[in-house]
Amino acid sequence: MGAILTTERLTKNFGGLTAVNDVSFSLEQGEILGLIGPNGAGKTTLINLISGAFPPSKGAILFEGRDITRDKAHTINTLGIARTFQVVRIFSRLTALENVLAAMVDRGRKGPWSLVWDSFFRRACALTEDKEACATADGLLEFVGISRYRDEQAGNMPYALTKRLEIARALATQPKLLLLDEPSSGLNPAELTGQIDLIQKINAQGTSILIIEHVMKVIMGISHRLIVLHYGEKIAEGEPEKVYNDPLVVEAYLGGDSDAQH
Amino acid sequence: MSARLRKILLWAAALVALFLVPHVVEDRYFMHIVVMAGIFTILTLSWNLLAGYTGQLNLGHAAFYGIGAYTSAILAMQTGLSPWLGLFAGGLVAAFFGLLLGFPALRLSGPYLAITTIGFAEILRLVAMNWVDLTRGSLGLSGVPLLTPIKIGDFTMQFYFERDYYYVVVAAVLFTLFCIRRLIGSEFGVTLQAMRDDEAGAQSIGINPSSYKLAVFTISAFFAGFAGGLFAHFARLVSPELLALHNTFDVLTMTMIGGLGTIAGPILGAVTLTFLSEALRYMEEVIKIDIRLIVYGLLLILTILFMREGLVGVIKNSWARMKGGR
Repeated sequence: MGAILTTERLTKNFGGLTAVNDVSFSLEQGEILGLIGPNGAGKTTLINLISGAFPPSKGAILFEGRDITRDKAHTINTLGIARTFQVVRIFSRLTALENVLAAMVDRGRKGPWSLVWDSFFRRACALTEDKEACATADGLLEFVGISRYRDEQAGNMPYALTKRLEIARALATQPKLLLLDEPSSGLNPAELTGQIDLIQKINAQGTSILIIEHVMKVIMGISHRLIVLHYGEKIAEGEPEKVYNDPLVVEAYLGGDSDAQH
Repeated sequence: MSARLRKILLWAAALVALFLVPHVVEDRYFMHIVVMAGIFTILTLSWNLLAGYTGQLNLGHAAFYGIGAYTSAILAMQTGLSPWLGLFAGGLVAAFFGLLLGFPALRLSGPYLAITTIGFAEILRLVAMNWVDLTRGSLGLSGVPLLTPIKIGDFTMQFYFERDYYYVVVAAVLFTLFCIRRLIGSEFGVTLQAMRDDEAGAQSIGINPSSYKLAVFTISAFFAGFAGGLFAHFARLVSPELLALHNTFDVLTMTMIGGLGTIAGPILGAVTLTFLSEALRYMEEVIKIDIRLIVYGLLLILTILFMREGLVGVIKNSWARMKGGR
């Protein structure tokens, strides 16, 4: 199948702190790749680098063979990478439907002035009256299971469901690669099962996924492969079972560090 | 369908009522206030596009208003350009300056942007004060031409009196309202609101905030300049005072009291406060205290403390309560 995303010796320094250190990995087409590691291991920083929130200090990122190392976040999204956030970043004063509608605009082709033009010379008077667009958005809300909150202000939705709204919004940009930053944090066990199903459903439709997760039940259940970060470095990679029993990984998690023992 | 029909009937009723106002009210002073309320409605609607829908606190809005007024006045006085075209020329020149002010907004936000925009307006006010050859400095430009008569067949519409200007301003407000409603309801408007609610979230779905900020500053400034042109040909006097900060604060207060980030709010706020301000001016002559600013300040504080969503929010809530109570 070949790799859809490759990072080459990716490094990010924040002042004296090296958050991500020399990380190289590939994500295969159609794969769910799990990214784990103790708190502060640099997982979110790695996703921020890939999604273009900030540029790396060193190294390169290739997406479908194209160098996206220096591209801005919005460009990277139009190329086909969407993401969710560890702490949700939904549009709280828009309705759930509008959150998804905002993401459906073909922004690779349409800039602000062409949208201004559209607002005067479009069939539908308002976006929420555009039946075709609303049908697509409704389909996505249905897909993630939050249809009943369609016209609710996103800021008033239960937390667990805003995480799903964020996924629906990300899917609305029709990504080839989806970056999920702790989609299960703050969910109860019942909600967890639903979340696992949802992620597998998305993957089944052909979307490759890079997922950060602390909940072992989730990450072991759905990842095809795992990468382990520790202090910004990649310390293990491979099949979930193998990685899980890797002594280096166990040490990282349980703190069998020689410094700590002294 | 019946909901749609009711909407159309409501609009028709509103238009008829608006048309009849000058036929019912003869008082010229009253009509003067109504015209000013209309001009301020355009200003608040345009400011709200930035502050309410995009989350950009622009405290230099009066500069666009002043630029529009000066442009239209100078063009009419020095080149003889028709004031009707001048209105749009004023809007376009203001839009250009809006684009310029958009650039610092790409890097600044919150209080930093607010201070920068104050500085921007203040610089332009000083330019207007000191470029005496063009603007006659602090004296201002007086005797700005009236809007030229419109001839349709045998019928000629003159623009002498407040009631004549009333129709122009109502048309201008409806034009602005139409444009802004269209913009807000569209993909463009949803994009602006997405940026307002969460800029990083917006970028994650492919929105380039910079280009949208430039666009919205330009559009907002256009309407402010357009309002300025209307004022110039109505008041017939344009002075640097138009660009002063207190005008922006009037607009801010009107929008906040009416309801930030709504369509009806700015209209409600502009009309209410324009009338209130005239009433207070009348009181000032009696009690000899400058109470207008005191009242404005108090209203603003009370709004922020007790009715965050402004008059529109209060009306909406009490309507919902009335319906729920039944």
